[in-house]
Amino acid sequence: MTVRPLVYLDNSATTRLDPRVAEAMRPHLEDSYGNPSSLHAMGREARAAVEEARASVAGLVNARPREIVFTGSGTEANNLALLGAVGASGAVTPHMVASAFEHPSVLEPCARLRALGADVTLLPVGGDGIVEPGELARAMRPETVLVSIMTANNVVGTLQPIAELARVARSRGALFHTDAVQAAGRVPIEVSRDDVDLLSLSAHKLHGPKGVGALFVRTGVRIAPQVHGGGQEQGLRSATENVAGIAGFGRAAEIAAAARGEEAARLVNLRDRLLEAICGSVPGAYLIGHPHRRLPGHLCIGISGLEPEAMKLLLALDEQGFAVSTGSACSSSHASEPSHVLMAMGFDPVRARGSLRITLGRFNTDEEALAFADALRRVAATLRPITTRKIPSERTEPCRTR
Amino acid sequence: MPNQVNLPGIDCGLCGSRTCAEFAQRLATDPELIKRCIPLSTDSTPPPKASVPVQAPAACEAACAGCAPAPRQKKTPEWHDSLGREFDFILEHFPEDPGPREIILPHNPMLTREMDVKRGDVLIGRPLGMSCGCPITHCGVVSDVDPRTGVITWCVTGPLGPREKGFKDIGYYIAEAYEGMIPRARCDIKIGMRYFFQPRMCMLQWRHSGLVNYVNRTPVGMQVRLEGLWIG
Repeated sequence: MTVRPLVYLDNSATTRLDPRVAEAMRPHLEDSYGNPSSLHAMGREARAAVEEARASVAGLVNARPREIVFTGSGTEANNLALLGAVGASGAVTPHMVASAFEHPSVLEPCARLRALGADVTLLPVGGDGIVEPGELARAMRPETVLVSIMTANNVVGTLQPIAELARVARSRGALFHTDAVQAAGRVPIEVSRDDVDLLSLSAHKLHGPKGVGALFVRTGVRIAPQVHGGGQEQGLRSATENVAGIAGFGRAAEIAAAARGEEAARLVNLRDRLLEAICGSVPGAYLIGHPHRRLPGHLCIGISGLEPEAMKLLLALDEQGFAVSTGSACSSSHASEPSHVLMAMGFDPVRARGSLRITLGRFNTDEEALAFADALRRVAATLRPITTRKIPSERTEPCRTR
Repeated sequence: MPNQVNLPGIDCGLCGSRTCAEFAQRLATDPELIKRCIPLSTDSTPPPKASVPVQAPAACEAACAGCAPAPRQKKTPEWHDSLGREFDFILEHFPEDPGPREIILPHNPMLTREMDVKRGDVLIGRPLGMSCGCPITHCGVVSDVDPRTGVITWCVTGPLGPREKGFKDIGYYIAEAYEGMIPRARCDIKIGMRYFFQPRMCMLQWRHSGLVNYVNRTPVGMQVRLEGLWIG
């Protein structure tokens, strides 16, 4: 039996497939099942769908279509970017830099590169969830070949100063990669204006299907393929293309690009109203991360004294029909560990387990947000805080919405 | 001056307005909103190390992560108890409390319900055994009760209250936790670590030890909760 929550507020984990996207995918799941590499009519039809989608995805980040390489996920795109760029650098002992709060699909390839002999520097993150360009400048070395810093953090939602960071990398002769999986379709991305060389995307974060990602590879940038075979995707990602998924990705990108500004404004206002409602009704609630430099629909909340109870809070909210996260969905298999993101931001191990991630999306309404705030107030009141002391509001990070 | 600001004109919506033109209209009446323009943001102020309570304790001498160095107090405490044993910090009670806050459990937890212990009651009893083994009978005012488990939160006060208001005697009890403020410490206080400490109001001025399992850095000092308590 499918249990569907009444209110889905976990849009950073994944998003509901937009019906318009499903419609765009349908022909390729049913009648038009050709292989895009085939020369016959059905193959050419599939190729056309892939190329049309490539143009749409390129448009989302202001790239050229030829600079888009489809992959099987955002994770694969990140792996291809890091392992591929460092592998193609030819350096004997390459050095790369990433922030300490990157997604595991960046941190794990970093660990792999380290095991292969590369030197990896993980940059510290400010308490507001922002990576300082000055920190990057200090970490750069003559042998630095790659810098990877995410556009928006998946746990706290903070937006990084990508243009400045990329400028630092470019000025020192290193490639710049950014994991834009959370940001694409939600904030403007201009790879042609900014000095971004590699950029990762994922369809299912923008109301597209799961199982499709993409890597932007700036013209002239060399990366080594990580999947070998028939030479699809300009030889960078062998495998028969997931035509239906790619067609869905293209449609999802079109929809996101067309309504991005208006939708972002709606979500910012909804997010801020929700934050005010939570902070006004839940004692000790505080916002984690920068108040403004964050994704439009993204809130990361802590409740002072209740941090160790975050998992109970999540389960109780689930029982009430609200789907939220206590951090990254990717870390749920080892949820007993404190969040590496919050630890990187300076939180102690107890607080670093205690965040509640509420992420609004295209299909969320004012009524849902306010119903959630009310449920959170009720549920939080039933939990036993680690401290018996009432937390006065001035002892917590104030909720700032302006 | 909002009129002199060139908005980026990309209609990104991140400020909460649908277009830059709409945002410009809002700016005309509320110039403070300019900080919500993310593409225009040039905020290079170094952020604090942690976004949860960051202010340094008033007189913290520890090199705590997230704390700015605080000026040393003129009178540095001697880090020895009345028996000459070293300790790491002094535990003060919360300013809003009448005395040190303790979380206690009567040796017979049923007593909490049988004696109808409730908020405001004055109790007396002695912390017996492994935790905390103090020879002195304590008096206190109840601030919270969990009738399901028998756990009582009280603030230890002097004997005047029981004498004037009457009291309930719970006999022996176990001190499960202390909560209070650390105005100064001689080392970095970390959650999960066991420390020797000196409760400010301890009549015997004996050091205790306990495991820190909650830390909250506040403008007036570091709030902690300690469990696994021992004397010595």
